Amino acid sequence: MRNLFPRWTNTIPVKVIFALGLIGGAVTAGINYYATPKYTRVGYQPTQPVSYNHEFHAGELGIDCRYCHHGADKSPHANIPSANVCMSCHKNVKADSPLLAPIRDSYFGEDSNKDGKLSEGEDLNGDGILTTGPSVPWVRIHKTPDYVYFNHAIHVNRGVSCVECHGRIDQMEVVHHDKPLSMAFCLDCHRNPEDSLRPMNEVTNLSWTKQTDSNNSTFDSIHSGLDMKHNWGVNPPLSCTGCHR
Amino acid sequence: MIKEIPDHTLDSGKRYWKSLDDLAETPSFKTWVEREFPEGASMLEGVQRRGFVKLMAASFGLAGLGMTGCRRPEHTILPYGKSPEELIPGVPNFYATSMPSAHGFIPLIVESHSGRPTKVEGNPSYTPYGGGTNIYAQASVLDIYDPDRTKTGLHRDSSDSSTWKSSSSSQLLGDVSNWVKEGKIAVLADKSSSTARKHLKTQLESKGIEWFEHESIDLSSPENTLGKAFGINHGLRLTPKLRKASRVISLDSDFLGNREPNSLANTRALMKGRKVLSANDAKKMNRLYSVESDLTITGGVADHRLRLDSSQFVAFTNLLAAEILTLLKKGDEPLIAKLNDRGSSQAQHSKWVLECAKDICKKPKNSVILPGSHLPTEVHALAFLINQELGAIGTTVEYQKTDNSASSISDFFKKINDGDIESVIFLGGNPVLTASSYDWADLSKKIKNKLHLGHSLNETSLICNFHLGQSHFLESWDEGITWDGSTIVPVQPLIAPLFDTVSDIELLLKLIDSDKSSYDFVVSLQEKRSTSVSFEDFLRLGVEKLKPSIYSDKVSLTSLDQFKGKIADKPSSENLEVLLIPDFHAWDGRFANNGWMQECPDPISKLTWDNALLISPVLAKELEEKYPNLGLLPKPTMLNKNGQIAPDAAVFDHGKQKAPIVKLTVSEDQSITGPLYVQPGLADYSIISTLGLGREKVGNVGKGTGFNSYPLFNKDFNRILSKVSLEPTGDFKILANVQEHWSMEGRAIVREGNANEYISDQAFASHMGAESHSPKIWGKDQEADLAYKARTTPRGNSSYEHPDHNYEKSETPGLHQWGMAIDLNQCTGCSACVVACQSENNIPIVGKDQVLRGREMHWIRLDRYFSSTERDGAELPSDVQVSFQGVACMHCETAPCETVCPVNATVHDEEGLNAMAYNRCVGTRYCANNCPYKVRRFNFFDWNKRSTDELYKGPLGEENDSLPAMGKNPDVTVRMRGVMEKCTYCVQRIQESKIQVKVKAQRNAMLETGKDGADLVLEESDIKVPDGSIKTACQQVCPSDSISFGDISDPNSEVSKLKNNPRDYSVLGYLNTRPRTTFLAKVRNPNPLMPDFESSPHSSREYHDKAHPVHHDDGEHDTHEEGSH
Repeated sequence: MRNLFPRWTNTIPVKVIFALGLIGGAVTAGINYYATPKYTRVGYQPTQPVSYNHEFHAGELGIDCRYCHHGADKSPHANIPSANVCMSCHKNVKADSPLLAPIRDSYFGEDSNKDGKLSEGEDLNGDGILTTGPSVPWVRIHKTPDYVYFNHAIHVNRGVSCVECHGRIDQMEVVHHDKPLSMAFCLDCHRNPEDSLRPMNEVTNLSWTKQTDSNNSTFDSIHSGLDMKHNWGVNPPLSCTGCHR
Repeated sequence: MIKEIPDHTLDSGKRYWKSLDDLAETPSFKTWVEREFPEGASMLEGVQRRGFVKLMAASFGLAGLGMTGCRRPEHTILPYGKSPEELIPGVPNFYATSMPSAHGFIPLIVESHSGRPTKVEGNPSYTPYGGGTNIYAQASVLDIYDPDRTKTGLHRDSSDSSTWKSSSSSQLLGDVSNWVKEGKIAVLADKSSSTARKHLKTQLESKGIEWFEHESIDLSSPENTLGKAFGINHGLRLTPKLRKASRVISLDSDFLGNREPNSLANTRALMKGRKVLSANDAKKMNRLYSVESDLTITGGVADHRLRLDSSQFVAFTNLLAAEILTLLKKGDEPLIAKLNDRGSSQAQHSKWVLECAKDICKKPKNSVILPGSHLPTEVHALAFLINQELGAIGTTVEYQKTDNSASSISDFFKKINDGDIESVIFLGGNPVLTASSYDWADLSKKIKNKLHLGHSLNETSLICNFHLGQSHFLESWDEGITWDGSTIVPVQPLIAPLFDTVSDIELLLKLIDSDKSSYDFVVSLQEKRSTSVSFEDFLRLGVEKLKPSIYSDKVSLTSLDQFKGKIADKPSSENLEVLLIPDFHAWDGRFANNGWMQECPDPISKLTWDNALLISPVLAKELEEKYPNLGLLPKPTMLNKNGQIAPDAAVFDHGKQKAPIVKLTVSEDQSITGPLYVQPGLADYSIISTLGLGREKVGNVGKGTGFNSYPLFNKDFNRILSKVSLEPTGDFKILANVQEHWSMEGRAIVREGNANEYISDQAFASHMGAESHSPKIWGKDQEADLAYKARTTPRGNSSYEHPDHNYEKSETPGLHQWGMAIDLNQCTGCSACVVACQSENNIPIVGKDQVLRGREMHWIRLDRYFSSTERDGAELPSDVQVSFQGVACMHCETAPCETVCPVNATVHDEEGLNAMAYNRCVGTRYCANNCPYKVRRFNFFDWNKRSTDELYKGPLGEENDSLPAMGKNPDVTVRMRGVMEKCTYCVQRIQESKIQVKVKAQRNAMLETGKDGADLVLEESDIKVPDGSIKTACQQVCPSDSISFGDISDPNSEVSKLKNNPRDYSVLGYLNTRPRTTFLAKVRNPNPLMPDFESSPHSSREYHDKAHPVHHDDGEHDTHEEGSH
């Protein structure tokens, strides 16, 4: 009987298996390399309910990061400012701007005549106190997983600048995710903290760069990361318990 | 607005947040809520199946292309409109408050995360408790987040109607005001030590409102009867001051446990006198004699324990009084003769009593006799007079003058039957359950308006036509006094009421027609009382000193003449006795819906989710003879040569203990049915039954747990009942017991010695166990100091090199080496640590069914062992000694769990913690298998996501109510299904402390020196956590300070000192696991002259009997047997 299939078809199964292996390997390698925070998170730039401009406030006006993110040196969380922080300026500056409406609604709430007191007809929910309005739903950009307990206070107070994890916020009109914030990213710095340490007063100065002065050795040693690490006893944890509880 | 609700149990009026969007009330969420089903869920009709499949295939393909699934869902952050003062998100706040109770308020410090109370601690400013709390205070925080709480005011047309209508609390309070105008109104309240309530009570009475009080388990009742017996017009409250006590006799009094008031102060003071760190301490150690019918944790601590039926205490105390008064040469001859005569039935114990009395009279002023609160007045009067004649009053015990008790429930019913009352307000409590001998159905018919104020709908609400939710104490204002009358403490809310509820003070203020808020009222009370302390300071400190009124007059011995009644007959198998005690889990029933309490094993019986009729082995044997098919005891042949119970089909069902159900009858209309459970250490013919479980109307957690013993109660609430008969029903019940086995089988797990042994050989504990004759664990470094061993992990005799836990670091400044020491001599077994750990570490409950499968999740297991003198293999022992040992992860330096983990999810950190990375764990459970201490717990299900009856449905099951999630500790991961977990030494507290120390050190140094660069120099001591500033949850709760935690590389830390004490030993030390948690051996202090004296503790004798005849067998035997449960 004549062969139904030509001879070259004999190698098809081997070729198919080989090709599938190649494709599978490529997909695995691709996912391994690209499906990481470096590619999935960096660049994330959601639209915020209020188009707050960091470039203007932090860069041009030079407001310190901790004016608004007041928890950064005290708490695990840096804190998103409550509406009253915004209103401490914007009561007077651009007080009627339509762009700031969500902030004003949140701040005044039931206080429709904006006198800070409970007046006739203001107690809409009947609880006897002046209730503030709905929170401004800021969209979260930087997020560690639930099982990671990152603490801002220890980093900020030990000379690690905001810029190390958040990038040049003072140059961002709209904030985006700048660094991967993956476990490898954390560990790189925990292994070699000296590269990321700076004098404590420069922590919120995002444009700070390490300067050397060949004539002044004291200046150099004050700014030396290794010396800071040694003299401050900086000893970032490398084991699981440092961040996972 | 009035809305019909057909069945209140189905009321899903959730007013708390479900998600952050819910809180924000975004329009998209609102539309989602208002739709019956999510968009598209009900749209399949009309679409061709073929088209549908085509669409699906296309959308799957597109989903893969777009990679939209890789993005994290959008997440919003919702800050305040106006941020409250003193609140930094992420940093918990702590507030001083207290837990109200009928038996003294418990001063507390409560942790709050963004306004949500999460963890309860004791207030250390109240020195008698020293920052300790009891198990109920620990569990109380769960009650705020109880999904079965009443969430709104409820009323119905009549008390027969099954339809509750909801209306607002303020509307119902308006109705109540109208009743007051009509008059003829009575309040039946649960008792409370609240001073605010006391003030309101007088004002109510002046308005003609009748006031009655009822507490089913009234521990203060003896104080009133004692005052009356002595002809004094006030109560006499027994307040032990055990700090100076050297000899204590407990007469059926569980003064260290939950059955007597002020047990925290008693525990702290008594256990301080049992702290043995040197031979001198052992000589000064106090001695506890305990006479009791039930086996309590007080009896577990006791150096001498006598089993005696509760009804025999009148005779026994008379005999004891006769001996003591004779020795003290007090009292005339006729009196002594009378005492001897009344005590004659206890003549068989005369030797015990005589030697005990002699010991007492050696240091009369430092001795004290403590009678149980359920005993008759005669016992209390005798105890008072003995304490007085000993000269103990003023040194080891005080009697406070207290107010006479308010009118009781019988007066209440008299008033009702006289027809003088039209409206009744039940203020808290649950009298319909706890006073079931009264005719409540009749009351319900007679009274027009019945309002119940309660945490949730209970038996009492069922006879009412109005129900108001009661605010939790962490949502209300109040103030009250502690049991010893020395301190007044505030109750301040940590959160506004979560639901539409009112507090008892608010309701009472409404009754006196006051428009004050409860806050204003408490402020006014404090300002009236104290001019020197401001209200803010009162709240800040949480305590304010008071001068208790102490009774200091003498009472004549002739007052004993009034006691002439017949002495109760001795119980026998024909005349059984029942002692009713508050249930460990539910107390009088109020904690029946608290999952933490239900699942925490009873310290002695180790039962969870159930109660049982406890009977002695003697009675069990007699019953077994009488009813051969009862199935109570395993057949004698079924005990193997170790005395272990081999499964017997009559007793075990699939390895689970079957308990025969019996009917217990006191009189024709007083009977209950419940399962029998054999408990060593009980008086032969006493049956112990607990009150508070088996409730009919209770939330989802408490449903179907245990049986109800309240029907046995008479109208006089006497807790000792005699002439009880018992009859099997032929049914069985499976009990969820977490420790069925009793004995250590002669292994040196808990090591014990007598004080005399300790004085002659302080290191007696190190001569026990296989490691005492195995090669040295640390080899040549055996004698090196603790800090060196902890830092370097010397190789010892091991063939393998030990891993270096310092990882990649050459220099590691500011490292600690964490370790824990548990002093077994200080532990009473109260189990508060178990619940404290559960609360701190977000440990879920699993339900009875899963406990039966051995899947309970507690990180601390409190092992309880019985040991006895005689064991012939077949008989269960009657006289036993009890030993407790809290076992949590030991943080072994050479941990067996770490080597078997295939994914490195459990590894060591550089500070000696055995870390558990949940996000790495894949759930192979090899680690649990390889752990010799059996302390690892596996999440077989999503315990946190689904309720216990939905577990097996997996993702199809209904998700849990989200309310309990509000009480979780945000600093600890909530673990999911398929993940292993275990004790972390409260790593969240360790890290938090380390961070705070470093932040403070660096900031202060910068402010002081003005330097901010590398010229700023911090010493290592600046960045290390000072000793004592980290307390683990179990350590913080412990009233007797039996747990120490700290840095063992610091030779001056408390824990290092304890670990260097000769009593220190490692459990299963010969396995070379080198646990960081070690134990200090227990020291008992028996009196050599007593008839029941043994030269060494039973467990120690068991060990030596077993270990010494065949020396080399011991190690092998231990390896196989230890850690088997």
